[in-house]
Amino acid sequence: MGELWSRVLQNYPYVFALALFAIGIYTILTHSNLFKKVIGINIMEGSTYILFIAAGNVRGGVAPILDMGDPGLVYVHPLPQALMLTGIVVSVSVTALSLALITKLYRFYGTVDAKEIMKIRSEVRANAGRD
Amino acid sequence: MSNKIAIALLVCIGVVVLLAISELPLYGSPDTPAQNYVAERYIEGALSDTGALNMVAAIVIDYRAYDTLIETTVLFTAIIAVFLVLKKGTDRKGEHK
Repeated sequence: MGELWSRVLQNYPYVFALALFAIGIYTILTHSNLFKKVIGINIMEGSTYILFIAAGNVRGGVAPILDMGDPGLVYVHPLPQALMLTGIVVSVSVTALSLALITKLYRFYGTVDAKEIMKIRSEVRANAGRD
Repeated sequence: MSNKIAIALLVCIGVVVLLAISELPLYGSPDTPAQNYVAERYIEGALSDTGALNMVAAIVIDYRAYDTLIETTVLFTAIIAVFLVLKKGTDRKGEHK
């Protein structure tokens, strides 16, 4: 048990990523405001970046920009950073599209609250069944 | 009430992931599986292969150039979708002004 905790504490960036991920999921699950759900998704994406870039780290490593004057330097893994650059572009695309859809929903229903929208939809359906 | 359910769910997930974190290779140690010949190859070959001092730029623009090219397609698709969604005059179903 003690060894387990010491390993968890030594891997503290992963714990930090887990905490951010949990905050993101909590935001998505408990808030019915659609903008807050988008913010939660973005927090979760940020936790993924932290996890990947921490996995590529080396103790005493420097940023992977070649220094010709000092051949003995240790560089961190450049691949996770490049992959996360791709991930940021995808996350921006997802955020832009979901914000546009929320704007559309607001114009249609007059609210950005998911529960309100569900209520309006069920009322519309009940009225349609009565006719 | 749903607040408590969410917290209970997250605690369950958190315990399992913490156990997984304890099994991960130690943070920053140079002999993790992530620090294999791939990193070595990129760090040693980036300058002679691509002529770029910045290895991240070398990977994004040279080694994985097709990835970046298709990525711009993703961005383009997202922008087109945003413009389609936000197009004026389609606020009501089947009613085009």
